Amino acid sequence: MPQSQGHAPVRESPPPPGGHEAGLAACARGDLSALQALYQAEAGPMLGVARRILRRRTLAEEAVHDAFVLIWRNAQSFDPQRGSARAWMYAVLRHRALNMLRAEQRLELSESPEEAEQPDGQEDPEAVVARLSEEKALKACLDRLEPKRRAAIVMAYVHGLTHAELAGRLDLPLGTVKSWIRRGLSSLRECLG
Amino acid sequence: MSGEDRDLLAGEYVAGLMSPEAEQAFARRLTRDKALAALVEDWRARLAPLDDTAAAEPAPPALWDRIAASAAAAPAPARAAPRRAPWRFRSGWWESLAFWRGAGLAAASAAALLLVALGVQTWRAERTPTMVAVLLSDAARPVAVVNTFEDGRVELVPLAAIEVPQGRALEIWTMWDKALGPKSIGVIPRAETTPLRLDRVPLAPDQFFAISIEPAGGSPTGAPTGPVVAQGVTNTAL
Repeated sequence: MPQSQGHAPVRESPPPPGGHEAGLAACARGDLSALQALYQAEAGPMLGVARRILRRRTLAEEAVHDAFVLIWRNAQSFDPQRGSARAWMYAVLRHRALNMLRAEQRLELSESPEEAEQPDGQEDPEAVVARLSEEKALKACLDRLEPKRRAAIVMAYVHGLTHAELAGRLDLPLGTVKSWIRRGLSSLRECLG
Repeated sequence: MSGEDRDLLAGEYVAGLMSPEAEQAFARRLTRDKALAALVEDWRARLAPLDDTAAAEPAPPALWDRIAASAAAAPAPARAAPRRAPWRFRSGWWESLAFWRGAGLAAASAAALLLVALGVQTWRAERTPTMVAVLLSDAARPVAVVNTFEDGRVELVPLAAIEVPQGRALEIWTMWDKALGPKSIGVIPRAETTPLRLDRVPLAPDQFFAISIEPAGGSPTGAPTGPVVAQGVTNTAL
C-alpha cells in the first residue's frame, strides 16, 4: 500500500513539565530553562504550522525563532484568564508567520509565475479537515459547512491566504469569496458556540 | 458596527484573512477595545485545533541555541531595569517596528550571541556594582556604562542610542594587558542592557572597555575592525 503523503495522525504534543501556563510564568521570572522546556514540547509542531504558511523550511525556522523570542519577552503579559497558554503561544507564532508571509509577498512582487503555478505543497483542505480529531467540535462543525466554504476557511487559516488569494485560487469573484467566508464563519460560531 | 460584524471581523483577523493595512488597524483597535479582544480570544480557541493538524517537523538543537542567544540579548521585561508596566494588551508589541528591527538583527548575529546567553543565569543577584566604567564617544558623550559586581557578573547598560547599520552588530571588548590586546566579551545586535561573561578574563581598576561596530557575527579577525563608538576604563564605585 502506497504511503499516504505525510498524513501523520493528529498530534497533540506532550506538554512541557508543569504545563504551558507554569512554563510561561517561569519565563516571566527570567528562567531560560522554562523557555527551553516549552521549545522542546512545541517547536516541532510549531515548525509544522509555520511551514504550512511559509512553505520554506528556513523561513519557518525564522518564524519559530522569532515567536520564542517574543514569548520570552512578553511572557509576563500572558493572562491565563483570557485563554490557554498554548493557544497564546500559537497565536504569537501565527501572527509572526503571517507577517513574514506578507512581507515576503511584497518583496517578491508576489504572483511570480513560479508561485502561481505551484500551489502544490499545499495540502488539500479536505485532507486537513480529515485529520482533525473526531473529538473536536470543530471537525463536526466544519463538516456541516458547504464544501467550498469549508475549503475557503481552512485554506485561509492553514496557508495564510488572503481573501484576494482565495478568490484567485478558487476562481471566484472577490466579493463572493468574502461573503462565503463570512457566512461560513457565522455558521461555525453558531455551531461551536 | 453591529455585534455580529465585530465578531466576524474578529474571526477574519484570527483566520489571517485581512490585508496588512486592515490587520494593523484592527490590531490597534484591539489594544483599546477589551470586548473585541475577548472575541478574538474566542475565535483563537475555536480554530486552534487546525494547528494540530500540521505534521510536526524535527526541531534542530541549533535552532534552540539561536533562540537562547536572542532571548538573552532581549531580556524579558521582568529582568529589565527599571521594570516596565505590564502590557495592557498583547497586540501592541507584535506591531512594534522597533522591536522587529532589533529582532531581525538578532537573528542574523545569533550564533555569536551564545556567549552572552551563558551569562543569563547569574544575572539576577544583587545589583550594587563594585566597579563602573563609563564609555564615552569621541565627542566625550557618555554612551554606555559597564558595571562589575562582587560575584563576578558584569553588565553593559547603554545610556544613548547607538546607530547600528543593517547587517552589523555591536561588539564589546575589554583589555587588561596591552601586550595581549583587546578580547571580545560579547556581540549584541543593538544597544540594550546585556550581561557579559568575564569569568576567563581578569578584572581590575583601570581596565579598558570599548564597543565597536562589526559584521553581524562579530569581528572576523578577533580584534576590533570597525569604528569604536565608545570606550572607557573602570573606576571603583563610590
